[in-house]
Amino acid sequence: MSQRPLELILARNLMSALSTPAFLVDEGGVLVFYNEAAGMLLGKRFEELGAVSAEEWGSLFGPFGEDGGPIPYDELPLVVAVRNGRPAHATFAIRSVDGADHTVEVSAFPILTAHGSRGAIAVFWSTATNGAGS
Amino acid sequence: MKVKLWGTRGSIPSPGPETIRYGGNTSCVGVTLSDGSLLALDAGTGIRSLGLSLAAEPTRLHILLTHLHLDHIQGLVFFAPAFRVQTEIVIWGPASPEASLRDRIARYISAPLSPVEVRELPCDVSFRHCPESEWEIGPARVRAASVAHRGPTLGYRIDDGDSSLAYIPDHEPALGADIDVLDEDWISGFALARDASLLIHDGQYADAEYPDHVGWGHSSLSHAVSFARRAGARRTVLFHHDPLHSDERLDQLGAEARRRWAALGGEEGGIELGAERGEYELPARAASVAPAA
Repeated sequence: MSQRPLELILARNLMSALSTPAFLVDEGGVLVFYNEAAGMLLGKRFEELGAVSAEEWGSLFGPFGEDGGPIPYDELPLVVAVRNGRPAHATFAIRSVDGADHTVEVSAFPILTAHGSRGAIAVFWSTATNGAGS
Repeated sequence: MKVKLWGTRGSIPSPGPETIRYGGNTSCVGVTLSDGSLLALDAGTGIRSLGLSLAAEPTRLHILLTHLHLDHIQGLVFFAPAFRVQTEIVIWGPASPEASLRDRIARYISAPLSPVEVRELPCDVSFRHCPESEWEIGPARVRAASVAHRGPTLGYRIDDGDSSLAYIPDHEPALGADIDVLDEDWISGFALARDASLLIHDGQYADAEYPDHVGWGHSSLSHAVSFARRAGARRTVLFHHDPLHSDERLDQLGAEARRRWAALGGEEGGIELGAERGEYELPARAASVAPAA
């Protein structure tokens, strides 16, 4: 397995110490880590899931817009951040493994280095939780 | 490949009777490749002695800087070959979005900190940012990668024939993480050190000292040993000794390192503390590394 860039390593180490849910994607948009707080929100620890593509992550947990429909992949803050190299913010719902929907605010920002983009970080703030299947 | 330690101390030169065996000069390692090409890894005060050891004849050499903290560049203006018109020097180092490598080094090699300016150096000197991909110097393949330290900092790996040298003198791989359980690809510097014939690695702090220095960019002894064992380095030299550590204290830390190395399954003689003027020969076609003297 190839070595992760230092910037992702340091980001993961920082995120591991945060109580705020946080997600980390690499330069290809692959979800390479989320912290324990995010695992509590999703109902699944990262160690159980492992690295997954953004498309796969979307199929597992949403996200969903206000109308209940899925948010297009290209509009996800993490995707915008990693593709366009600029921060992005959105409010949407994600569905945890127990079926509960959580409305969250998400801020994503790119990890830019002297050698270009390394990926992006997204931090989630939960604003509301609805019952399973709602 | 021949390797010679010209400066093993970290942070600040610390000459004196209490440091005479391990040495007081700051980071510099001389590397002679299989075709005779010469590299200097870092340019701490140890590079002064390296320069004096070279014949006063036309010389081409490469200086690979891990970063620009003073203990890694302080010897540049006292490096005799830099004051010979026949010498060609290529200085490699980390890129920064803030300024070029030349401009950042020139902050030190300029008034009022220095009696000479970069433009006044008689030698043919050039400055290059290390690429992300591997490149060649003589017969060697050289790789640089960012590692966990304060500010833009590189570690290096030099492969020449079947031998490999990994040089990561300033490194805190356990910052915010447990390197005993992390997956290998998430450990800073791991790919540089993997299965290296010789790993020269930061070992600045005793374990008891580390909690007061978390985030300073250096390793505890236990973290350094764990890193080296996990990376599978065949021989490890701990480096960048704390300026407060006397020879007697370093002897104690060396004994502790050997105990920990053995406890993690390392072969006897596989780890030691670097001493100034220590030499190692890495045969181009052999699996083991032996001290040259």
